[in-house]
Amino acid sequence: MRAGRLTNGQFAWLLMLPALALFLAIIAYPLISSVVTGFFEQSLVRPGRAFTGLANFADVLGGDFWPVLRNTLVFTAGATIVPFLIGYALALALNAGIRGSGLMRGLFLFPWVIPGVVVSFLWLWIFNANYGVLNGVLLRLGILDAPVSWLGEPATAMIAVIVTKSWASFPWIMVMLLAGLQTMPKELHEAASVDGAGAIRRFISVTLPHMKGIASIVVLLEFIWNFQHFDTIYVLTGGGPAGATETFAVAVYDTAFKGFDLGHATALGGLWMLLLLVLVAFYLRHETKERS
Amino acid sequence: MTVTLPRPATLPRERVRRRLRPDQARSRVAAWIAVAVIGLFGMFPVYWLIVTAFTPDDRVFSFPPSLFPSRITLDHFADLAKNEQLFGYLVNSVIVSVITAVLSVVVSAYMAYAFSKFRYRGRKSLMHLVLASQMFPQALLLVTLYAVFSAVGLLGSYTAMILSFTTFTLPLCVWMLKGIFDTVPGSLMEAAAIDGASRWRTLHTIVLPLAAPGLVAAGLFAFVRAWNDFIFALTLSSPERQTLPPGLVHTYLGEFQTAWPDLMAASFVVSLPVIAAFMFLQRYLVGGLTAGAVKG
Repeated sequence: MRAGRLTNGQFAWLLMLPALALFLAIIAYPLISSVVTGFFEQSLVRPGRAFTGLANFADVLGGDFWPVLRNTLVFTAGATIVPFLIGYALALALNAGIRGSGLMRGLFLFPWVIPGVVVSFLWLWIFNANYGVLNGVLLRLGILDAPVSWLGEPATAMIAVIVTKSWASFPWIMVMLLAGLQTMPKELHEAASVDGAGAIRRFISVTLPHMKGIASIVVLLEFIWNFQHFDTIYVLTGGGPAGATETFAVAVYDTAFKGFDLGHATALGGLWMLLLLVLVAFYLRHETKERS
Repeated sequence: MTVTLPRPATLPRERVRRRLRPDQARSRVAAWIAVAVIGLFGMFPVYWLIVTAFTPDDRVFSFPPSLFPSRITLDHFADLAKNEQLFGYLVNSVIVSVITAVLSVVVSAYMAYAFSKFRYRGRKSLMHLVLASQMFPQALLLVTLYAVFSAVGLLGSYTAMILSFTTFTLPLCVWMLKGIFDTVPGSLMEAAAIDGASRWRTLHTIVLPLAAPGLVAAGLFAFVRAWNDFIFALTLSSPERQTLPPGLVHTYLGEFQTAWPDLMAASFVVSLPVIAAFMFLQRYLVGGLTAGAVKG
């Protein structure tokens, strides 16, 4: 059939066909199938499976789920709030009319641009207990008396992964917020200034309201990404020590590919996805509102 | 990284230097302090990566480390160049990332064009589905992908990696390209139709050439994302088909003593193509992004 005989709608579907086929085969089907596996007892290495109903979910909810949820929330909150504050401060600074801000905006992108595993290697080296530069500097400044095994202690390991992830994501937040600041009409600030508003007052009553839209998108996206972040945590701590940094991504991965237990991995993963769906729904509503 | 951003066509600040009001002067000072503090946090690790890569072994493994290298060496880079296994990972990375980028752009372009220029039932829901799909957890997706590739005998192949990378490059490219097609005026297509060009022909001879810079940008983004991927490559590749990210982990980590300078030198080299790509992509950073096109 020649394309010329199709209606516009049919033609559009024809255009979408290859992407749609790919989408169904490698995203939709695997995702649904993964969630379904949560209702079965299935191993990664042995064929066959047995329906066990909600047993996997009951196991998971009676065990791993809660500590993993806690870790994920702590990591997500930290790795969203910290770079947001840094990125916001930097965006404001680069928007204050200082010289060379264009060049600096480019330089500051480095941490975000370099591959995730490189970020992990780099911070693994910085946090290294024996030769790491962080211990070196802190000892020399007299802040520490003895080297700290940053990634080896449950309390500091979580802080370390949050710092690492924050380092990698503050530049993106800065770029987004800077773009928002640059669309702010100058007259607003000038008018407020004439009315006698100081810098802080102007920030609160002019800048913050103007930035509300873009800032909430940035926070929401960061939250969604951090909620499923894998690379940095896996390379830095592997979820350890003693499960202190075990988030959903690491727990699901390890249960499936180290424990070979697909049933429990996907049950945990299904619950994880349910939580993510709530966040994604928020995001989609936001997007739809923005566009209309 | 040299960066040129479009500057407004006003006079250079020097020539029109007015006296700053006191509060303006104060906010400049505050701005510089913020830049300095955040600059230390942001740039010191980059500096440390480079310094370590050029520091001789005996200096690296001494404590406390010296912040400024007293001697520099190219040994670590020379070692890299001689390492055939790493070269194999590099070749794999290039092959897999390039094919992923090309495949994603070609397939996505048609879907993005349909989203952008046609109105039909199901369009909105599909668009949302594509947008949402890149927010679903990869670790979960991986479980079934692994089983499927294993069942059809593709585990450890380039194909498995390329298809798995497409799970995140496809939504990314569709959204980026939709944004780009949105900027192509519909009147152009109407004019082409009046001249008797079919819809198919209009797309290929008028719209796609116009959107070429955008296609390249989307391809570069897809390339970078594929190049950086860790979790899929780690799990779906065989030792001979491994890309650089999992390859470096397996080569350097988990040994008794990590060869940090070599690892930093390798990290430096792995980052170069990505940095080069982003120098071209600067101006697309914000545009394609609200759709979550660029993952942080």
